[in-house]
Amino acid sequence: MIRRKTLSIILGFLFMALSWLTTLAQTTAEPWTDSELKPTQELADQINDSGKKKPLIINVGPQAVIPGSLDAGPGSEKDNIKKLEKILSTQDKNREVVIYCGCCPFAKCPNVRPAFKAVKEQGFTQARLLNIPKNIKTDWIDKNYPVQ
Amino acid sequence: MRNIKLFIGFASLLFFLNQERSLAQKPIEVGDLAPEIVLPTPGGKMVSLSSMKGNLVLVDFWASWCAPCVQEQPELKKLYAKYHHPSQTGVNLDIYAVSLDSKKDAWERAIKKLDLPWTQVSDLKFWTSPVAKTYQLEGIPFNVLVDQKGYIIALNLHGEQLDQFLSKRVGK
Repeated sequence: MIRRKTLSIILGFLFMALSWLTTLAQTTAEPWTDSELKPTQELADQINDSGKKKPLIINVGPQAVIPGSLDAGPGSEKDNIKKLEKILSTQDKNREVVIYCGCCPFAKCPNVRPAFKAVKEQGFTQARLLNIPKNIKTDWIDKNYPVQ
Repeated sequence: MRNIKLFIGFASLLFFLNQERSLAQKPIEVGDLAPEIVLPTPGGKMVSLSSMKGNLVLVDFWASWCAPCVQEQPELKKLYAKYHHPSQTGVNLDIYAVSLDSKKDAWERAIKKLDLPWTQVSDLKFWTSPVAKTYQLEGIPFNVLVDQKGYIIALNLHGEQLDQFLSKRVGK
């Protein structure tokens, strides 16, 4: 009887540890951290306020939508990653770099991961991914943020 | 006098609220007349959704950059082969594909690669396309089924559900 109880406790602990590890694996799977997600309002304020320091904004999706952003093209294509690296090569590593795609939800987007990794690998200390988890229409255009 | 002022105030508030409501976009629903779309084909010819009246029309919102949309195209081809019979009597299925592509070559390449035989249109404006606003698209793939008279009869059906729905309508 006692053995069975001990066994259930051990199994319970194992299950909890496994769930914790799975959660950890899920949260660490992305190349960005939560603090590297750039809030949309913050970027819109930087664009709209002429007094504010402008980050380098780069589109890594099908089309550049945000005013002043440079167009590297979809990050899923190797040539576009090279284009992105070329854009970054002339920049101060401490300048804030905001990349965005907005084609589809982050989970399905083929562009943001390779692009974000490339920015990080170039050694930028302020690499940011624009937090548009659904798409550029619902999370940016529909909120009346600036569009070029 | 105080009552009159109160009444005027209340009436103005009601008027203002009503104005606000009418300015907000009504959601697209089954039973609505499908909003008109007039966009160019890859060849530059303007084709309207209403020109397809008389058919059961599947308005498919897609893009070459949207992986799930591209994956769905072979399924749509099967349904098209099954239900597109314009020479026969009864209801016929047609497809009006609206692309949210932004680059013409990518759009054309995808149509060619997937060998899609139905009407293809796009303004190449990505998510800034006015059609995305009119149809209140929140994501793609998304589709709308429009009956022979131009009324919406189903929203966003895919796979088996779409097949079953069509089997009840087409050829009848």
